[in-house]
Amino acid sequence: MKTTFRGGVHPKDQKAYSRDVPLRPYDPKGDLIFPLAQHIGRPAKPIVKKNDPVLVGQCIAQADGPMSANIICSCSGKVKAVEKRRTIAGTLADCIVVENDGLFTQMEGFGTREDISGLTNQQILDRVQAAGIVGLGGAGFPTHVKLAPKDPAAIRYVIANGAECEPYLTCNDQLMRTCAADILEGLDIILRLFPNAEGVVCIERNKPEAIAAMEQAAAKYEKIRILALHTKYPQGGEHNVIQVVTGADYPTSKLPADMGCIVDNVGTIYAVQRAVVFREPLFTHGLTVTGDAVKNPGNFIVRDGTSFAELVEAAGGLKEGVTLKKALSGGPMMGFAASSLDVPVQKITNGLTLLSKDGSETAERQMTACLHCGRCTTVCPAGLMPQMMADAVDMGDLERYEKKLYGLECVACGSCTYICPAKRPLTQTFKQTKAEIQARKRAAAAAGGKS
Amino acid sequence: MNTALNLSSGPHVRDRWTTAFVMHVVLLSLLPATVVGVIVNGVHALLVVLLAMASAFLTEFCFDKLTHRPNTYTDCSALVTGLLLALSLSPNVPLYTPVLGSIFAILVVKCCFGGLGKNFINPALAGRCFLLISFGRSMTIYTIDGVSSATPIAELMAGKAVDITRMFLGTGGGVIGSSILALLVGGLILWGLDIIHGEICFSVLGGFTLFLAIFGGQGFDPKFLAAHLCGGGVVMGAFFMATDYVTSPVSKLGQLTYGLLIGVLGAMFRLYGSAADSFSYSVIIGNLFTPLIDYFVVPKPYAYRKASLRYQRGETGKVLNGKLVKPVVVLSIIALLAGLALSGVFSMTKDTIDAQKLAAKAESYRAVCPDADHFEAYTSEVEALDGQVYGSSFGRVYINEAVRGLDADGNLTGYVVSVTTADGNDADISLSVGVSPEGVVRGIAFTALNETPGMGMRCGEPDFMAQFEDKDVSQFTLLKDGGASQPGEVDSISGATVTSRAVVNAVNAGLDFCQNVLRGE
Repeated sequence: MKTTFRGGVHPKDQKAYSRDVPLRPYDPKGDLIFPLAQHIGRPAKPIVKKNDPVLVGQCIAQADGPMSANIICSCSGKVKAVEKRRTIAGTLADCIVVENDGLFTQMEGFGTREDISGLTNQQILDRVQAAGIVGLGGAGFPTHVKLAPKDPAAIRYVIANGAECEPYLTCNDQLMRTCAADILEGLDIILRLFPNAEGVVCIERNKPEAIAAMEQAAAKYEKIRILALHTKYPQGGEHNVIQVVTGADYPTSKLPADMGCIVDNVGTIYAVQRAVVFREPLFTHGLTVTGDAVKNPGNFIVRDGTSFAELVEAAGGLKEGVTLKKALSGGPMMGFAASSLDVPVQKITNGLTLLSKDGSETAERQMTACLHCGRCTTVCPAGLMPQMMADAVDMGDLERYEKKLYGLECVACGSCTYICPAKRPLTQTFKQTKAEIQARKRAAAAAGGKS
Repeated sequence: MNTALNLSSGPHVRDRWTTAFVMHVVLLSLLPATVVGVIVNGVHALLVVLLAMASAFLTEFCFDKLTHRPNTYTDCSALVTGLLLALSLSPNVPLYTPVLGSIFAILVVKCCFGGLGKNFINPALAGRCFLLISFGRSMTIYTIDGVSSATPIAELMAGKAVDITRMFLGTGGGVIGSSILALLVGGLILWGLDIIHGEICFSVLGGFTLFLAIFGGQGFDPKFLAAHLCGGGVVMGAFFMATDYVTSPVSKLGQLTYGLLIGVLGAMFRLYGSAADSFSYSVIIGNLFTPLIDYFVVPKPYAYRKASLRYQRGETGKVLNGKLVKPVVVLSIIALLAGLALSGVFSMTKDTIDAQKLAAKAESYRAVCPDADHFEAYTSEVEALDGQVYGSSFGRVYINEAVRGLDADGNLTGYVVSVTTADGNDADISLSVGVSPEGVVRGIAFTALNETPGMGMRCGEPDFMAQFEDKDVSQFTLLKDGGASQPGEVDSISGATVTSRAVVNAVNAGLDFCQNVLRGE
């Protein structure tokens, strides 16, 4: 049985900080901030205005078009402003700011288990859409779109992605340990949409408790199996779990559905279960606050819009005598560096990693010329040639980069940069180059359209 | 609470390995070979190693300082180059050679081409070949147990027996880093740590062994193959030279191509060439092919390979991941065909070449013993020498053949001794010495003289050769500064003292053999 993909790296997993700390809810005290763009596709349209009272679970911004998603309020209080605020990306973005009254009064209409055996597929999808669910693994792809591919009968696998290969993060591990039955119920609901599909739960072997819990819960489902995977980064990448399950890779121009697969994070599947069975919209999710700079690392069920600074306090604050060098939204491989802690948790934020040492800073000091050692080539999970790609970029040969080296296939997992003994900023170069090539193509298309 | 936070694009953690760490491990992996080399060859070898490393490091240091380039001498790559160079030198080289070699390797091949990662051929090998070409003879004086002798690989190529066990342990003579055992220990550690690519070292060894086995004329004779593998820097080349990151291809398929190219070339040079140092050249040729290989051999991403494409089209079935079988087969077939063509040419021309050699020899005999109608060989006297170096004062001289010339009636008209010396500046020199029945030297004729044109080659000119004609002496003496007046004194060709001395020694050896063995009876 295949348990992994080709390539990949073994960064220190650092999960010991928080892996055995159970999830506990955290209720914020300060104002909550809801960016309107927490998904790919167009930002949601606000449907509240200043001084409007709001409740927990209330939709405060509505999806703008099919690829967009609803934004749900996670506290009760009143709208303080609809204005530009700083977000994780470091830029100012449109946000709804809600003054928290600290009561967390819920809206009516959700929270009790319903019998869903009579629901049609469309009703299931509608509930998912109303709940504002997007892919919680980090991509932010609207789930109701993902669950409605052109040909549902062609889907052979629904993959619940619980690999959690990102170092430091453990919230999915804890979620699988405590809510295994709920996740599998969610997976079973999704399987109703795909008559020919089998459910596969992918979990890395470094989470034996989660594997055991999920296996126990899966016993009653005929169409669901648990797949224990080799522990290796980026095992949880969409391409990589599909590679393991089907044995085949696919280009970035294709979607998982083209490969007969639907891949959802276990957190997303849990949200689907809450949305379909309890009609509960998505306003809380699991999040790990961890790192060597924080006193009591742990896993939390956080409300969307909570400020990072509050989460640091929730985890006991920073250790004394430690200077915080870097605050990461997510883990150290794929995460974004935040410019300040005064930014809100979004739907896709699954970790806050606080580090007193910055690997990038050290790397910059240790950078040497490329030796052509080929380690980047060995670890690239897509089978690309990062060293040659970087050379092509240096030479300004974007033609070779795109056509001969398939540079656009890079998913920016960061493995090449991680492994490079010369500490070359490879992934960073590829992200930029990919953006540049796509911008040129758009410009060319626009020019072509006019003439 | 906020001080400024670092901002950068991910990933935010890095592997422990740095360039300097890789270089440290390579240095350590060469330690066993260095230790064995120093123990076997003594203090002089240690000095060669230290000087080569020190001058490599200092060259890079000074270059960086003078050109205001930061951060390259600290990575220890210059020390690796210096050590590799020293290990590929004879332990008896004059002490200025490792210094010059290191300076050439670092300054010309590395720094002038842009420093670390930019050299186009392996700097250590370039330094070695620079020394071999520039200092010819003094670079190739090898000793075993303190006695001057040919390297095992030179013996092997001359068709003589070698002691494989001593070669394996590194006590059989040759360069400082000639202990195969110690090199293998270091090389396998590097391979185990994933520092060198198995694709390269094993395809080099595989290509080399296969080619020798198929075209060496001795089949899969393990002794023959082991002797070739243990000598002439094959193991050092495969594990430490060919695997140099900068000058080897990046893709796995490219690495296999490159390794096979080096292995096959190395074996071809062994079988059909004459230089004992040929393996260095085959690695350098491989280095030169690297940019070409890297340009053309680019594997497709996994998503565009056959198995994945089949799945994407909806055809299910077994998905194979081992995709190296086909290219390896294709490459092997190409190597095989190239080898067949070469050995075909070789065997077709071999008879002609041998016939030409025979004719040249007969002609030389006639030139120095003109009255003879036919020749009779002294087989037992020559065989008694057992292929060993003749005498102790003639350098590395071997007696090939000795004959007596007889006229039509069977009367003795003179003796001819065919001699080969390995002390030529560029290659072996063979010549025939003619001696009259009375013991007077009649003259000499060359059967093989491949020295530097305009210099050593001038030994073949009539003026020089005339100095050996009709001389009734027991030995010839070489005068370096000219002014020969007495019979038996020979003026050296100016600027080609090495060749001149080799010729005079060879003639003296032939004469000595004639006087003491043939005429002494």
